[in-house]
Amino acid sequence: MKIDIKKTDGEEEKVVVRYSRMTPLIKRIIDVLSDEGGKIWGKADGETVSILTGDILYVESVDDKTFAYTNDKIVRIEETLNSFIDSISDDSFFRCSKSMIINVNHVVSLKSLSSNRIDATIEGGEHIIISRRYASEFRRLLRGDR
Amino acid sequence: MKNDNNLTLFERYLNKEIGIEFKACLYFFAILFFYCVNRMINGDYSAEILHMAEMIFGCYIMGYIQVFFFNNFDESDKMGPLEWTGLGICTLLYCLVSYFGGWFDKKLSVTLCFAAYVIFTYICAYLIYKFKRKVDDKILNKELELFKENHKKVNDNGE
Repeated sequence: MKIDIKKTDGEEEKVVVRYSRMTPLIKRIIDVLSDEGGKIWGKADGETVSILTGDILYVESVDDKTFAYTNDKIVRIEETLNSFIDSISDDSFFRCSKSMIINVNHVVSLKSLSSNRIDATIEGGEHIIISRRYASEFRRLLRGDR
Repeated sequence: MKNDNNLTLFERYLNKEIGIEFKACLYFFAILFFYCVNRMINGDYSAEILHMAEMIFGCYIMGYIQVFFFNNFDESDKMGPLEWTGLGICTLLYCLVSYFGGWFDKKLSVTLCFAAYVIFTYICAYLIYKFKRKVDDKILNKELELFKENHKKVNDNGE
């Protein structure tokens, strides 16, 4: 990406973003510039809506479609789970299984299960199982060892 | 989180294998204890290597049966029909091996005591694992609270 920086003398400060394809990086730059770093856009009931990333309880992939769940909304987002987690700078989002990302800040309680799995109870009472494959990484995240 | 925690097939196999070997060692020592006590009661202060070899191989195979056919019942979250069936079948298999291997001189009364002992050992193991998970629950929830507090502090400072 070519970066062109110019110092102006008294003129209005302006940033122009030119892109051929909207990538997570470009989107992040735009988010930072428009001070919408904590927002994500998607579709709910046929309308385009925005939700704060901090309000997301978990993100799930169902039949190649990605949905973000908040306390009162289910929003279909364009990103895949991988691009979502790559684009988000918030450490509280954790990939807990092949098809799900949870927001640890909305986890109410945790229960240790057999075979080193963890049952996470999300706000609203929903249970999400953190599979054995991801449980060790999850424990490291909680301890701040990541 | 990046996908850096993908385990290879070999690593996954090794993970399972270590669990089974640990289980084999645990039950081997429990069975050896019963065997030695029985020998001492009968005034014999030696243990036969062949019997010990049968025990360790038996425990190893039983570990596989437990894990792959009966939901790893001693480590399961609760004892359902499958788990109780597994416990019964594994106990029966141990008794058959002990009887035909002559561990207790083919005495039916001792074999029955051995069956009760194996069931007792399985139940103890189940309760120990359950207790271990309870302790783990407390640690996990404490760490979760700390994580949330730290995350909140970082966010508040960033604003």
